[in-house]
Amino acid sequence: MKKIINIVTIVTIVLIVPVVFSSCVDEEQRTDTPAGNFEALWHIIDEHYCFFDYKQHEYGLDWQEVYHKYKVRVNDHMTETQLFEVLCDMLAELRDGHVNLSSSYDYGRYWTWQEAYPKNYSDSLERKYLGTDYKISSGIRYKVLDDNIGYIRYESFTNPIGEGNLDDVLAYFALCQGIIIDIRNNGGGDLTNAEKLAARFVQEKTLVGYMQHKTGKGHQDFSGMEPQYLEPSSNIRWHKPVCVLTNRSVFSAANEFTSMMHALPNVKIVGDHTGGGSGMPMSSSLPNGWSVRFSACPMYDKDKQQTEFGIDPDYNVQLTDEDTKKGIDTIIEAARKLLTE
Amino acid sequence: MTISKPLFCLLALLTLVHLPLSAQSDSAKIITSSRMIGVGGTNILDTYLSAEHFKGVGISFVATVERKRPQRRWSTLMEHEANLSYVHDRANSRKELEGAYNFYWGKFYNWSLFDHRLTLQAGALGNATLGFIYNTSNSNNPAQARFHLNIMPTGIASYKFTLFHKPMMVRYELNLPLAGVMFSPNYGQSYYEIFNRGNYDHNVVFTTFVTAPEWRQMLTLDANLTGKWTLRIGYLGNYQQYKVNQLKQHVYTHRFLIGFTRRFSLIPHRL
Repeated sequence: MKKIINIVTIVTIVLIVPVVFSSCVDEEQRTDTPAGNFEALWHIIDEHYCFFDYKQHEYGLDWQEVYHKYKVRVNDHMTETQLFEVLCDMLAELRDGHVNLSSSYDYGRYWTWQEAYPKNYSDSLERKYLGTDYKISSGIRYKVLDDNIGYIRYESFTNPIGEGNLDDVLAYFALCQGIIIDIRNNGGGDLTNAEKLAARFVQEKTLVGYMQHKTGKGHQDFSGMEPQYLEPSSNIRWHKPVCVLTNRSVFSAANEFTSMMHALPNVKIVGDHTGGGSGMPMSSSLPNGWSVRFSACPMYDKDKQQTEFGIDPDYNVQLTDEDTKKGIDTIIEAARKLLTE
Repeated sequence: MTISKPLFCLLALLTLVHLPLSAQSDSAKIITSSRMIGVGGTNILDTYLSAEHFKGVGISFVATVERKRPQRRWSTLMEHEANLSYVHDRANSRKELEGAYNFYWGKFYNWSLFDHRLTLQAGALGNATLGFIYNTSNSNNPAQARFHLNIMPTGIASYKFTLFHKPMMVRYELNLPLAGVMFSPNYGQSYYEIFNRGNYDHNVVFTTFVTAPEWRQMLTLDANLTGKWTLRIGYLGNYQQYKVNQLKQHVYTHRFLIGFTRRFSLIPHRL
């Protein structure tokens, strides 16, 4: 009997000790009320958003002050639509195109970075320049302009491109004296598409920027800045001059493409300031099911400078009404002039 | 006379017959094998994907193989557990799909008590978990990869009895956490940084029963139907949870199991 008691005692100790030190891994669930959803959203942003310090420095953003400013606008008698409006107003304080609130009936956004500025792009002019005899290679439309300049129109990095597509496009332009890459209105997409394209214009491993991420909930909890290098493609590469055309609607992955191309010697950026959006976004959700997107991983240019609020072009060129009436795209013409000089 | 290894294996397979225990020699290896399917609830939290809890249903397949020689104190246990769950948030507007394969292997010391009716086993299982959680709504962080190697101290109690003139056995297995190593992105780190850029940052994390207090329990009842087949029903609760890199994750699965158990012996032949 003593033996049995000893066995049971040993087994019990072995099994019970870890249980004593163990506990449930859980997270506080806020209530599905207007106040609960407000608290959930404020805390998600507070713990994950990556540009608090930069934006405090730029325009005095104080997220704690934002809490008190909007908390008084939330009460349990408000409608769902009213709550959505208040929460979107709160998020707009971040002035970030990557911050969105999604419900089944609306998409909360801050688009002032493009809506408050001239478009500097006309689809009628694009149609005139491309005509009807342009070629299409996956997400790229392209043709050779009259003055032997290759013209690439890449309007979204969500459209995939393969190495074979790029080989075909660059081979087609082999006798051209320069290339225009028109990414105006390109709101971003897959960063790997941007890198794949940029790798055709770099001849050696080149430092093009830095990237970091949050390592904790604090506003200053960040990893070290990791240098980002662009490796030259092993396929066809372009050695001659390139102009990248930009406007205020160049955002996110397209902004990052501009940043990478800006670091290269043969490349000139022509057009308007880009829209920015240098924080790689992540998502979460609220108790009522609304989805929230926010900037999580900041990216910097090769000089460790923020590009969240966009990149200045090398040549700031605006589309003029006079040229538009004549069917001339002022920005494309400026680039053609630069490439043929 | 010697015999080639492949031929020996073939002969061994051919002798996989279901013999009564009394017919086994001392060197015979007794193998208890079970196959079960389970259905039940799943509760998921992964703060990398969402601060919300997701609940739903899932299915599991569980296979266990236990090997033991009659006169030896030590036995070997191997378990496979695969599960798939489809869960939703409390507003029923966001969905997640979770899948995992868990492999367990370990050694146990056996005590037989009360005229072999009660068997106690104590030992440890090595556990490898490979899985994913996919959030159907998220954009840049749509999924979380799960990989965990873990040592789990384990205790098993089995009690044989007779009911309605049928031999039965109730068995309870409890696996507890000790220490291991797992993969995790850092708090706000994107998978793009890890896999496209190679920017690693505490992505291999050592765990203990404090940071990964996962545990698992299985209660089964075996009812012998025929000489060959034994029905097994039971409950499996697997409570996997971690808090590393300031991220929290739990995947709790509750499964009601049904399946069959077979017991046979493997007798080595020497010519």
